[in-house]
Amino acid sequence: MVTALWRGLDVFRPLAWLYAVYSAYVRDQDMARPWLAWLVLGVLGAWTVSMLLYRTRNTWVVGIELVLACGAIMITRLVDTPEVIVGGAKTLPGFWPAAAVVAWAVLKGWRAGMLAAFFVGVADVVEVGVARESTINNIVILVLLGCCIGYCADLTRDGHAALSEALRVQAEVHERDRLARTVHDGVLQTLSYIHRRGVDLGGEARELGSMAADQERLLRTLVSNVPSTPRTGGPHVAAVVGGVVDLRQVLGRYAEGAVNVIPPAEPVLLDRRVADELAAAVGAALDNVRRHAGVEAQAWVLIEDKGTDVAVTIRDNGVGVPAGRLAQAAVNGRLGVANSIGGRMRDLGGTAIIDSRPGAGTCLELTVSKKGSVS
Amino acid sequence: MTGSEEATESDSSDATTLSVVVADDHPIWREAVARDLTDAGFNVVATADDGHSAVNRTLATRPDVLVLDLNLPGLRGDQVCAAIVKAQVPTKVLILSASAEQRDVLEAVKVGATGYLLKSAGRQELLDAVRATARGKAVFTAGLAGLVLGEFRRLAAEPLVKNGREVPELTGRETEVLKLVATGMSYKQIGAHLFISHRTVQNHVQNTLNKLQLHNRIELVRFAIARGLDTPA
Repeated sequence: MVTALWRGLDVFRPLAWLYAVYSAYVRDQDMARPWLAWLVLGVLGAWTVSMLLYRTRNTWVVGIELVLACGAIMITRLVDTPEVIVGGAKTLPGFWPAAAVVAWAVLKGWRAGMLAAFFVGVADVVEVGVARESTINNIVILVLLGCCIGYCADLTRDGHAALSEALRVQAEVHERDRLARTVHDGVLQTLSYIHRRGVDLGGEARELGSMAADQERLLRTLVSNVPSTPRTGGPHVAAVVGGVVDLRQVLGRYAEGAVNVIPPAEPVLLDRRVADELAAAVGAALDNVRRHAGVEAQAWVLIEDKGTDVAVTIRDNGVGVPAGRLAQAAVNGRLGVANSIGGRMRDLGGTAIIDSRPGAGTCLELTVSKKGSVS
Repeated sequence: MTGSEEATESDSSDATTLSVVVADDHPIWREAVARDLTDAGFNVVATADDGHSAVNRTLATRPDVLVLDLNLPGLRGDQVCAAIVKAQVPTKVLILSASAEQRDVLEAVKVGATGYLLKSAGRQELLDAVRATARGKAVFTAGLAGLVLGEFRRLAAEPLVKNGREVPELTGRETEVLKLVATGMSYKQIGAHLFISHRTVQNHVQNTLNKLQLHNRIELVRFAIARGLDTPA
């Protein structure tokens, strides 16, 4: 990006030189030592051409350019008669020294640009002898030029450094992500295998196996719900920026041996408040399963994204509940289901429908608008 | 397969020995699955440890079933499935996956995998699933049913007619059945619950998968035509 500034200089330098040659040609007759003027312009021309061919820009190169510029300005004193100089004639190199100022600014930043402008200014004053208004004006403009372009170059360099850093971090994250996937996959495979062999061997190995199975489920939920490399950029960004969460991730933490969480493939984005209430209701329902459905009972938590609504269905294959017992439980003051689930859903402006028959388990369907109620 | 007492209907009367290719990059798993299948009387004709050899060996041996791990090096699971479907071999693909990268599972099923089983499933579930897959019966876990249901819900949420084509829809009964599968009910339980036979339940499940795969093929063809990929080179 700084290269753009160098390229600008490559264009400026020859133009400034041509103007200096033209100015010298016009007042050739008035000069005290025209041959010296042409010699100096010849040296500057050679330097200008060599700068187009020689591409390295370091302190030496810009240093020589500054010396040439200041030298050419001061030699004007020998080229012109004192009367002409005091009369306010142009210096021999004209705009050309500005190239040296800009070169310092681009190479070393705004302080160097200002310093280079200062040196050129000193040379100007020395050449004229008495600083006139126009000389001061030129020096001020030169200093401004050095500072501004130097500042530009600094900004560009900082921006470039920040961008490189960001790209490096991104590449690192990708690589870590890739490694994590491999490691997770290996761990999941091994845990599944321990579970499988444990079941085959029976006895104590069976217990070890079921421990491995629990860990495997937990890890699988964690891994499969992490939006590490989103294929569709939008929703995840929204999820990070706004108070929006992926319900799959929120409910995923309930997955364990007896609880299967069944999510869709795409994120289900919800207002965080709604998601937390919904999760609390699901938690209460699962507690109920654990307490009443029997030790062998399994539970399934199905998450459905219905567009404007979200439905969560919790089913277990436990002993079930006779009709009317839930209402009776509420009457008896055991408010578990009626209060903590139904109440929460009412607060959200959603519904809770329960369906249970003895021996056929219980099915509870919670539906809520993604935005929740307006309350 | 649904984790409940009655998994797939087991079919002990295999008239002919079923041939199987097992593709998995983890040696312990590859060998364990192959051993279980061999012990149960299946003919494991080849094993593969990466995507490309999974495709090559399946096309060379044309087994009844390819038991495919989704996370193979070389080719993604859905690419392996697509290659096998494209070659028009009679092989059916059963996904056996540990990571359950939900989107990967869905992609593989959309391009033609017949079934999906988690590696945490037991030995008997695996054997039943391979038999069912060989008969072309969709092997649905609750997880897969949830994914397919979610995909239809996603399609339904899109504009009804997108670029002049119709978005596939499930019938009310199909949605109902899929939802019951997704909440862990076995086909028999669902049949009893809805007063239909478990074979009808199986048909409904099969139909949902067929619709999804058909929709995917139509999408691919449209994509190919739109990009001018259908014209012979």
